Amino acid sequence: MTGQRFSDETLMAFADGELAPDEQKSVEQAMETDEALAERVALFLDSRGTSQNALKPLLNEPVPDDLTARVTAMQDGGANVTAFPQRQSPPTERRWALPLAASIALVAGGLGGYFTGISSTDQQQDLALDLVTQPAIITALNTVTSGEEKDLGSVGRFKVIASYSDASDTFCREFEVDRVDRSTIVAVACRPEQTWEYRFTVVAGQSNSGYAPASSLEALDAYLDAVGASEPMSTEAEDAALKSIN
Amino acid sequence: MADEFGQQLIALLPNLRRFAVSLCKSRDIADDLVQTTCEKALANRQSYQPGTRMDAWLFRILRNAWIDRVRKSRTEGPATNIDDAHYLIGQDGAAVTEARLMLDETAKSIANLPDDQREVLVLACVETLSYREASQVLGVPIGTVMSRLARARKKIMGELGIEDGDKRSEDKEGFVK
Repeated sequence: MTGQRFSDETLMAFADGELAPDEQKSVEQAMETDEALAERVALFLDSRGTSQNALKPLLNEPVPDDLTARVTAMQDGGANVTAFPQRQSPPTERRWALPLAASIALVAGGLGGYFTGISSTDQQQDLALDLVTQPAIITALNTVTSGEEKDLGSVGRFKVIASYSDASDTFCREFEVDRVDRSTIVAVACRPEQTWEYRFTVVAGQSNSGYAPASSLEALDAYLDAVGASEPMSTEAEDAALKSIN
Repeated sequence: MADEFGQQLIALLPNLRRFAVSLCKSRDIADDLVQTTCEKALANRQSYQPGTRMDAWLFRILRNAWIDRVRKSRTEGPATNIDDAHYLIGQDGAAVTEARLMLDETAKSIANLPDDQREVLVLACVETLSYREASQVLGVPIGTVMSRLARARKKIMGELGIEDGDKRSEDKEGFVK
């Protein structure tokens, strides 16, 4: 049963033309003498066309007029939504030393992706989690450079403090979100695979300055030390890292 | 006055809608999601890289919006609980729309796939995204895309009665990448 030399994933990738050339060759060679293997490949080939045909009617359904009209209207009013005011970032010396009051909720270390559950019922923490999983934040993490600040509308103002790699060479970014209610979230997100994970998140309660309290930043510094964070990346290194994920 | 970006967005509405329906199984919610997606896309258009697939970029926004909606519905309590919403689909007449989705046996099989397998099938097979593009939309490694996709495809072909002969598909021997 030579067919077992190849996993389903390999044969599927072959059928989809996504296999590396050398692997492709070895599947081709094996198929010449192994009918069962060829059948398995055929199954993956057929499944593509079958799925496309099955969902074709859905594509052919007329888009509701009002939906098209709304999307068109959004574009007509587009000047309001497309241009974010880009504020020049202040000189980025770390602002940690600012004396501030405030309740700090240490949300977590090691938060996973979107559906991370946390045991706390603290509403503020929930709000923070709600915030940091916003698609706008994900987009901003993928695009905004260190020192740059970006208005994310109802989400708040987003600032990247620095990018660095941790001990396992994972791309990480430290950022703040100044929320409309004047609280600030300080967070570290890392991208070990194709998705951002929150590694550290601190909610600084009400503050008048918009800056995160120093005590929360001590926790952050301790965290960065603990994970073996590098010195902040150079602009060039950060550019390269951002390019590679977009 | 739609510029090129806006025109592409309008042109992709049917595809966005199809992906949205496949995620949430309701045309009303799907249209809502598509609208939200377009709003976000227009507001963040500077993050779209010309030359890359715009549909893939939009699918990612749409899926994030869906996840956001599901998550919110969970934290906001039962009023918008998504599991209930699925039952409601059957109760308020929208069952007709779902029946339309299930035009034939394959569509039915696709609708019955687990969510994570259905979304990857729609992206890779129906919308013809590459594994890499699908992995970026879904925020999972390519290996995960491949294993989910292979399972989904075997499942729908198996349910159509054309699975290859001797169940070797269940066999986990052999090398796996």
